[in-house]
Amino acid sequence: MTNIRGKYVRVLVLWVITLAALFLFQELFS
Amino acid sequence: MHPIDWAIIAIYLIWIVWDGLRLTRRSNEIEGYFLASRSLPWWAVGLSVMATQLSAVTMIGTTGQGYVDGMRFLQFYYALPLAMIVLSVTLVPFFHKARVYTAYEYLEHRFDARTRAFTSLLFLLSRSMSLGVVISAPAVVLAVVLGISVTNTVLLIALPTAVYTMFGGVQAVTWTDVKQMVLIVSGLVAAIVVLVFALPADVSILQALRIAGSTGRLQTFDFSFDLSNQYTFWSGTIAALFLFCSYFGTDQSQVQRYLTTRSIDEARESLLMSAYWKIPLQALVLLVGVFVFLFYLFAPSPMLFNQVHERALRDGPRAGDYAALERRFETATAARRDAAMALARVDSAEDPAAVSAAGEQFKAREADVRAIRGDALALVRDATGDGSYNDVNYVFPTFIITHMPVGLVGLLIAAIFAAAMSTISAEMAALSTATVMDFYRRFARREADDRHYLRVSRLATGFWGVFASAVAVWAAELGSLIEVVNRFGSFFYGSILGVFILAVGFPRATANGAFVGLIAGMASVAAAARFTSVAFLWHNVIGALAVVVVGLVVSGVSQNSKFKIQK
Repeated sequence: MTNIRGKYVRVLVLWVITLAALFLFQELFS
Repeated sequence: MHPIDWAIIAIYLIWIVWDGLRLTRRSNEIEGYFLASRSLPWWAVGLSVMATQLSAVTMIGTTGQGYVDGMRFLQFYYALPLAMIVLSVTLVPFFHKARVYTAYEYLEHRFDARTRAFTSLLFLLSRSMSLGVVISAPAVVLAVVLGISVTNTVLLIALPTAVYTMFGGVQAVTWTDVKQMVLIVSGLVAAIVVLVFALPADVSILQALRIAGSTGRLQTFDFSFDLSNQYTFWSGTIAALFLFCSYFGTDQSQVQRYLTTRSIDEARESLLMSAYWKIPLQALVLLVGVFVFLFYLFAPSPMLFNQVHERALRDGPRAGDYAALERRFETATAARRDAAMALARVDSAEDPAAVSAAGEQFKAREADVRAIRGDALALVRDATGDGSYNDVNYVFPTFIITHMPVGLVGLLIAAIFAAAMSTISAEMAALSTATVMDFYRRFARREADDRHYLRVSRLATGFWGVFASAVAVWAAELGSLIEVVNRFGSFFYGSILGVFILAVGFPRATANGAFVGLIAGMASVAAAARFTSVAFLWHNVIGALAVVVVGLVVSGVSQNSKFKIQK
C-alpha cells in the first residue's frame, strides 16, 4: 500500500525548497 | 543542414512510427485501444503526462521567451504541484472508481446526459482547433529553418503521429511519449552543455549568469498584484491553479493518460511526477533561452532571426532602411559585447562600485540593441502588413541550425518533432475517445461488438488527424490570429472546471444547476474578455467561480420548486 499522504507532504516540502532556491538564484545574480 | 542531421531526423521519424505500430496487437478491444486495458505503470504514464503538456511551442516559444524576456514565465508553473495534489485528492478517485472512458462520462453519472454531451462538445471544439495550432506553430518555424514548405512540415509532424495513434491506440501514445520525453530532455541538456562551452574562455558561468541577471533575465518572482499582468507570483499561484486543475483534471487529453493506470494510487503517482519535475524542467527550457542570449552577446548576432523575412527585406523596396539599421545594429552589438566583457572583468575583481557602474553601462548598451531590434521588427511589420509579427519563435531553431555541431542539430530538430508529436498524439486519441464514447456509442449505436467500435475509433482518430492538419495549414496563413484560436479554449476551461467542482464538491448541486451554471460561466468569461483588461489566466478563476455560484443558486431554486410540487 502506497503512503500517498506522505508523498503529498514530500511534494509540498520540495515545492517550498524549489521556490526558495529560485528566489536565492534570482537574488544572487541580480 | 548536414546530411547526417537529415538522416537522424529521418531515422527518428521511421523509428517512432515503427515503435508505435508494434503496439497495434495490444489494442484489439476498445478498452485496450482507449485505456490500454488500465494496465500501464505509473512512471510511464507520468512521463506521458509531461510529454503531452510539453509541446513544440515550449521548445521554440519558451526558449525564445527566455532569450527576450528571461525566466519570468516560470511563475506560470508555480501552482502546478499544488494542482496535482488537489486533483489526486479530489477528481482522480472519482474517475477511477466510476471506470469511465472520458472525464465527461463521469458528468452523466453525476448529473445527466445533456451536461456530458455539452462539456464533451466544448472539448471537441476547442481541442480540435488548438490541435491545429499545436501542429502549425512548429511547422511554420521548421519550414523556415529547414527550407521546406509549411505543408510538408505539417505532414512530417502530423502524418506519422496519426498513423501510430490510429493503429496503436493509447498504448502507442504512452510508450512513444516515454521515448520522446527522453529525447526532448537529452536535446535540452545537450543544448545547455554546448552553450556553456561556447562562452568565451575568459568568462566563467557565474560571470555569465551575473551578466544575464543584470538585465533582469534571471528574475523568477514578481510580487506586484496586477490583474492585467499574466506573469506575476499571484497569477502563477492563484489563477494558474485553476488553469492546471482544469487542464489536468477535466481535459480528456490529460485525464485519459492517468485512466490507463492500474490503480487510483498509481494514477496519483503519475500526476505527482509532474509535481516534482515540471518546475525544474521549465526552468531548464528557459535557461536554454537565457544562454542563447549570452551566446549572442559574444558571437555575431543576426538582427532578425527569421531568414525568410530578412532576405525579403534585404531584396525589397525598404532595402536601404534595412541596411542602415543593420549598420547601427553592428555598432550597437559591438558596444554591448565590450560592455559585457567589462562587466565580467570587474566582477572578478570584486569591486562593488565598479561592478555597479559596469552593470549600468551594460544595461544601457543592451537597451540600445533592443531598441534597434525593435525598429527592425517594426520594419518587417510595415513591409508585411502583419501588425503583431515577432521572431521570438525563430531564435532557438536558428541557433540550432547555425551553431550546434553536426549530429546535435539532427538530435535537437528531432526533439522539436518529438515535442510536437507527443502532444498531438495524446490529443488525437482524446478527440477520438470523446467522439466515439460520448457521442457515437452514447447516441448513435449503443449496442455493437468491440470490433465495430474499434473500427469507428480508428476512423475517428484518422479523421481528427486529417482535420487538424487542415487547420494547421490554414492557421499557418493566419499569423497573429493564432492567438485568437488559442484564447478560444480559455473561454471554456474555467467553466468546465466549475462543473466538475459542483459534481464532486457539492452533493446538493443538480443537473439543471450544473447546466445553467456552465452557460453562466462562459457568459461571465466572455464579458470579462470583452469589457475588462483582466489577463486571460484569471478568466479561469472567473469562469469556475461563476459556474459554482450560479450552479448552486439554480440547484437551490430547482430543489425548492421540486419540494413545493411534491407538497
